[in-house]
Amino acid sequence: MEQRITGRAAVGHLLRRAGFGVSPSDAEAYRKLGFAGALDRLLDEFDLEQPKDAPTFDAYEPGLIQQLWLDRMVRGRSALSEKLALFWHGHFATSNRKIREPLLMWRQYKMLRQHGADRFPELVARMSRDVAMVRWLDGNANRKGQPNENYARELQELFTLGIGNYTENDVREAARAFTGWGSRRHAFVFTKAFHDAGEKTVHGQKGPHTGDDIVRIVTSLPACHAFLARKLLRFFSHPRPRANEVAELAAVLKRTKGDIRSALFFLFRSPRFLGAAHQRALVKSPVEVIVSALRATGGIKTPLWAHGSLERMGQILFQPPSVKGWPAGTAWLTSAGMVERVRVAQRVARSFPDAAEQIIDVAFDNEPPTTLAKTLAGLEGPERTARALASPEFQLC
Amino acid sequence: MLNRREFLTRGLSYGSLLMLPRVSWAAGDKKQPGHRTLVLLHLRGGNDGLNTVIPYNDPLYRVLRPGIGIGENQIRKIDKNVGLHPAMGGFESLWKRERLAIVQGVGYPLPNYSHFRATEIYYSGEPEKTPSSGWMGRALEARPSERPLRAVAIEKEKPLSLASSAPGIVSLTNFKQFQLPKEARESIAMYKEFLALGGERAAVAKRALEAFKVAEKIASLRPVRGSFYGSLGQDLSKVLALLQTDLDLEVICLSLNGFDTHANQGPQHNGLLAQLSNNLRAYQDLLERQGLGDRVCTFVFSEFGRRATENLSGGTDHGSAYPAFVLGKGVKPGLYGEAPSLENLDNNNLRYTTDFRRIYGGLLKGCLGLDPKPILGDHAPLELLA
Repeated sequence: MEQRITGRAAVGHLLRRAGFGVSPSDAEAYRKLGFAGALDRLLDEFDLEQPKDAPTFDAYEPGLIQQLWLDRMVRGRSALSEKLALFWHGHFATSNRKIREPLLMWRQYKMLRQHGADRFPELVARMSRDVAMVRWLDGNANRKGQPNENYARELQELFTLGIGNYTENDVREAARAFTGWGSRRHAFVFTKAFHDAGEKTVHGQKGPHTGDDIVRIVTSLPACHAFLARKLLRFFSHPRPRANEVAELAAVLKRTKGDIRSALFFLFRSPRFLGAAHQRALVKSPVEVIVSALRATGGIKTPLWAHGSLERMGQILFQPPSVKGWPAGTAWLTSAGMVERVRVAQRVARSFPDAAEQIIDVAFDNEPPTTLAKTLAGLEGPERTARALASPEFQLC
Repeated sequence: MLNRREFLTRGLSYGSLLMLPRVSWAAGDKKQPGHRTLVLLHLRGGNDGLNTVIPYNDPLYRVLRPGIGIGENQIRKIDKNVGLHPAMGGFESLWKRERLAIVQGVGYPLPNYSHFRATEIYYSGEPEKTPSSGWMGRALEARPSERPLRAVAIEKEKPLSLASSAPGIVSLTNFKQFQLPKEARESIAMYKEFLALGGERAAVAKRALEAFKVAEKIASLRPVRGSFYGSLGQDLSKVLALLQTDLDLEVICLSLNGFDTHANQGPQHNGLLAQLSNNLRAYQDLLERQGLGDRVCTFVFSEFGRRATENLSGGTDHGSAYPAFVLGKGVKPGLYGEAPSLENLDNNNLRYTTDFRRIYGGLLKGCLGLDPKPILGDHAPLELLA
């Protein structure tokens, strides 16, 4: 039987995966709760009211929405909501570079944050009406008699089923079902005159399907449960989940009609999650690197250098490189990325020169691995802090 | 120019950093046959092709362009039908030396007139779908390789054309940005320890160490001096620095801004074409003097051409078909394709006669030895390379 971690290490691991790591101010509270209690608290925090928006919102300033979200990740309550929103943002990858309306991107994020743990079919139905998404995948160009297949295709290929689990016909017919699903300025608008109300056959089901019917049909397919299970496991659990792990989680999704909260509970409570093979098995994305470094040192505000830094590491929030989202795992470790990760460590250490012990406590559960302990020996102050943050172990979660 | 000895001695001065695991930049690539480096230059904004490669014998040219049309006696004639814009002395010289192929009427069905979307189309090579990978990104995936550095974009951000699951793709604006901070030395030592742990840890460490090595390599480069000027000149000096090393890159991307000439086109277009033509000529000359002529092929394209009819502001609006250029010693020179008709216009726009994917196919075949079909679909490649 694989060795399992317990106690403080288990709580630390959970908070790294279901959030961005503990901060010194909440470490004690979570540890007192123990693993099961900590998980309950994280799931309860989903129900917390959403933080209010900043009073003035410059709709044309993309930097602002990045700053706002990073700040929430660093110091907001309900780390799991933010982490899950980050997962969904990468999943339903929409880029402001095309939309050019930060306000619409912000609304999409808020929707994902608020409903990210609901049932998946409901989330997809909401996303199908999200104005940023409508514009991103050319919903307004999809009309009766001149269908635009973009949304119908990406919905099936990237959002719900994966390649090989739908046919070109399914795409064509689904596109017809979404005709008329458009937007006017910042609002979703269904225009009946543009809608093809005729009979369609999608995944073997015949009917005068609307977009909602398509969502219902595709999200109830076994392929969808497996597809979603694998994605959740790869983001929260392990880069190469085993077939039986995927099957088990898919079964939970099927049983609960796609309830994400239940799926996450099952995932985190799985015995394998606490196994040695799952410890520090995931490479932190650039956002996780900066946010976890700030949380571990007790930082509360996102510094201005964070934006350029994220860009150099290859992850600009609200601007994924394509509808496929961001790469994962060792793909983050590019040459520019590695140089930048060292620089991030130095910059944070400059702002928080004596945070080394704190970092060892919250980011390493007070049990630094031997390799790390060795390299820190004899170092003090900012050098010690920077070394801890630049370490290979800190790049993993 | 940095010869092999200079490179090695300069490299050794980086001391302990070189105790990184040995990396074979190119030589170890037994899997793939040799290739030519493909340099892709995007003229951003939509180049006015009709004033670049000018059908001087067609009376309709003067009808469409009464104001901004180029005077016949200024046109640099290259054959009995077409000639180059007067500012393109450099390209005329390349044409005479048989280093230039001009592909006429480049475009694709149902052209898009948005900079953003048209660029996506050219970068993905897939006009019919939402892009998620680049045509060169897919090419790199089709040629698996162990090299830690395969493609470079002289851009702030990695362009969609290089979007790929293959590693070894970098974007940079200057070499110095890769300079390893001195703390990197310690980082590298930590990753070497990590490597010794084996398993998953070793995979992470290996990737990280390779990345540091690539950064170190890039930071050691210096732009090449030559008769270059302007932003294109600066970028080409960096391209040359990359081409002169033993990196043996497969593709390098760069772009030149400013071609969106909606108003008072004359002076702007003049300056841009001069910058394009003079710098590329100097670059090609330098490449050949260093014996690299057979190793590089350069492709110049735009996201669209401009409208055949001029507008009322002395300029042109977004259009479709335009001429693309392929430069190099191994290129089969001459005019390719059919000049678009000036009579049979599509709502004042030129109709394309050569699908751009045919050029891409010819480049994938001739430079990288790839079958273009799985990457671009069924478009007969133009045999551009010898």
